Amino acid sequence: MRNRVVITGIGWVTPLGRSIEEVWAKLLEAQSGIAMTTLFDARYFPTQFSAEVKNYHLPENLKQSGKHEDISRATGFALDAAQQAWRMAGLPEPGSENSKAVDPYSVGVYLGSGEGSLDFENFTRTALASWNQENRGLDMTLWGQRALQSFHALREIEQEPAMPISHLSMEFNARGPTLNCLTACAASTQALGEATELIRRGDAEVMISGGAHSMIHPFGVTGFNRLTALSTFNEDPARSCRPFDATRSGFVIGEGAGVLILESLAHAEARGARILAEVVGYGSSADAYRVTDQHPEGRGAIVAIESALRDAGLQTGDIDYINAHGTGTKENDSTETFAIKGVFKERAKLVPISSIKSMMGHLIAAAGAVEAITCVLCIRDQIIPPTANYSVPDPECDLDYVPNHARKIKVNVVMSNSFGFGGQNDTLIIRNFS
Amino acid sequence: MRRVVITGIGAVSPHGLTITDLWNGLTAMRSGLALLSAFDPAAFPSRVSGQVPSFKTTEFVPKSYRKATKIMARDIELAVVAADAAVRDAHLATRGVLETFGGKKPDDSWFETDPRRLGCNIGAGLICADLNELTTAMAQARMEDGGLSLEKWGRSKDPAKPSGMDLLTPLWLLKYLPNMLACHVSIIHDAQGPSNTITCQQASAGLALTEACRTIQRGQADMALVGGCETMVHPMGMMRWTLLKRLTTSGNENPAAACRPLDQTASGTVLAEGGSVLIIEELEQAQKRRAKIYAEVVGLGASSSARGIAGPDPAGEAMAMAMRKALRNAGISAADVQMVLPCAYAIPAHDQAEAAALKSVFGSHQPEIVPIRGGIGDAGAGTQALDLAAAAMALREQIIPGAVNCPHPIAALNVPQQTHPAVINHLLINTGSIAGQNSAVVLRRYY
Repeated sequence: MRNRVVITGIGWVTPLGRSIEEVWAKLLEAQSGIAMTTLFDARYFPTQFSAEVKNYHLPENLKQSGKHEDISRATGFALDAAQQAWRMAGLPEPGSENSKAVDPYSVGVYLGSGEGSLDFENFTRTALASWNQENRGLDMTLWGQRALQSFHALREIEQEPAMPISHLSMEFNARGPTLNCLTACAASTQALGEATELIRRGDAEVMISGGAHSMIHPFGVTGFNRLTALSTFNEDPARSCRPFDATRSGFVIGEGAGVLILESLAHAEARGARILAEVVGYGSSADAYRVTDQHPEGRGAIVAIESALRDAGLQTGDIDYINAHGTGTKENDSTETFAIKGVFKERAKLVPISSIKSMMGHLIAAAGAVEAITCVLCIRDQIIPPTANYSVPDPECDLDYVPNHARKIKVNVVMSNSFGFGGQNDTLIIRNFS
Repeated sequence: MRRVVITGIGAVSPHGLTITDLWNGLTAMRSGLALLSAFDPAAFPSRVSGQVPSFKTTEFVPKSYRKATKIMARDIELAVVAADAAVRDAHLATRGVLETFGGKKPDDSWFETDPRRLGCNIGAGLICADLNELTTAMAQARMEDGGLSLEKWGRSKDPAKPSGMDLLTPLWLLKYLPNMLACHVSIIHDAQGPSNTITCQQASAGLALTEACRTIQRGQADMALVGGCETMVHPMGMMRWTLLKRLTTSGNENPAAACRPLDQTASGTVLAEGGSVLIIEELEQAQKRRAKIYAEVVGLGASSSARGIAGPDPAGEAMAMAMRKALRNAGISAADVQMVLPCAYAIPAHDQAEAAALKSVFGSHQPEIVPIRGGIGDAGAGTQALDLAAAAMALREQIIPGAVNCPHPIAALNVPQQTHPAVINHLLINTGSIAGQNSAVVLRRYY
């Protein structure tokens, strides 16, 4: 017997804002959070725009604020999103009298968060000052002396990908299992799936789960530009990300966090929590194909989708909506379409599919978490968000992508896909709670 | 409930490239630590490290995969080498192994598994960029004031001349994604089953093992490659750990004695590299194919210290909880454990908290506590993976290795000073990461 797992809280920090309702309204209106990059001078990069979280400040009312002083941007996003989710779930304020009602060892954290951003100024200046052009190598004595003077100990350790979970664990006194996985763009979907498994088998009653990431910094954009994975449509950033459209030319790098409170049904019911939805299926696989490319026939993606369905005990006919990975790269969108057709067969054309990356960009490790939250909202409001910027059909992408306008439909069961560089595939199935 | 056993081990450590090298080093009570040679450490107060002996990665991958070794950071190379040894040790005829045999199994002892039933869960750390490679490109875009010109970095005015970023190989980013350890390993060995990359520093491998065991137990896979690898021996790691005051500065004269875990004279840890990949397998399948079985994985527990990088609380409460959960999961009591592999980094506050946690779990019962960091240092995400490999060997050989550099244990812990045979039925591996994630694992002797 495995425990049923329900969602009792959601919170996010996204390029479209940080309140659940405000961002959700914008998604349904096909608004774009993509604009020229301001976090660094990107004017000379092949891609000069991104989906930034604007005017971001850490919430002031964190309990352990003194311990969060040197955190990375991603950890800040994670703390904010987690606080929203925790409060929505009606869990007791950490440190309050009521908090004694929750056993800290039954509360865990599982994020798919990315690394923190490099201390760019110190890093580049230290390296350049110690560069020996004749030997074409660094003078390590010079580098070391300068590095020990200029780098800041705590800001350095905050770049470790385990730091967001470490801060969440402190803030919410979560002493159960705390984990971070970093499987590229699939990370937070995987985190949610594995957190679900943890509760199912009884290793925790409550899991704070999702992901956070920011790669909008010079080396992050460099890395993706060198891979030619990013859209370079600098003329009109808001229209740059065009998932499933024939003119799509790459993804748009975004940043942010999404956090959900997952809870065993028994625990949620015992404390009278409002239940938003239920996680009923999770599937995970590896392409084991190539470092650079997805398997062209979506081999791994098909396995992930099929095993999520099997895990949920559902048929393709039960799925009302697919929240796609839909990055807007040539390769991803056609492969994902191929995989959906491979599993759904004739029904593929009947299931609406959309990608919110068309509006808020690709939050990399955090993408799956904000997409899972979107799925919860679809179920709550019986409406699905559109794929924005869709105008030219691609013969390789010939399904119903909910072009440009949100659609009111019956939404009982939704599927969310995430695929990562390196061939990681993860699928979640979320159902209306009854 | 499906049972899970360990049927193959690959380990890369300062003692060598194989599990035999590691085990020989441990049982001979040798130290693999020496003066750091990977880069010139003169500017740093700690100049000792635990480096893996040099190797050519191309010799550990099938011929068709040699080209891909060009985009492997050191961490990835370590995992590829460990995984190669692990699948061979388990007599798994994976795609990669078969290619090196010319497509045919040498004999019937080699087992072909369904790729979809083979998982991969390898812990990883924050992979450090090759500073020389990156600075070669940055030097192209240097400003007069010594900073990096983002204009020259991004765009070249002269189309015939590359910009700074153009000097980086197009696949540059892929060298440094933590999930590339599992990615390359799963491609080489065609592991299409559930795959993950846990990045919880030193506790990564135990948490990865937990997840992979559960996938096998609930029937989503029959086998998995499991472990963790990392190199901490790079300038950024040295800078970070120096600034955090985690490294010993008193071992430069006598590197072999620098790292003194659980000893009264402990003064800091030593940066190292390495890790392991284990093959874990569902018991009935292992029995049916007459696999060599090292040990059974019976108890898994995890917790968080909730103190950030302040490390475990002085009483070791959260750490003790992880150990208790693992014992409960195994259905045994503390008195059933004969040997413990602690994380024991030789960082005094961390060691003391761990000693307190061990005392609280084991009370008056005193299993033998074997701190192995003394000879191999702290390999980040490879740390607990090496402990798991050593533990599996100890159970199979029924030998407890003597501790290196721990003649005067703190808290009167029962630390063996000599390698000796012993009856070991249960062995507990306890790990607490620098950021507070705790993972405890109980392995059982397999008869």
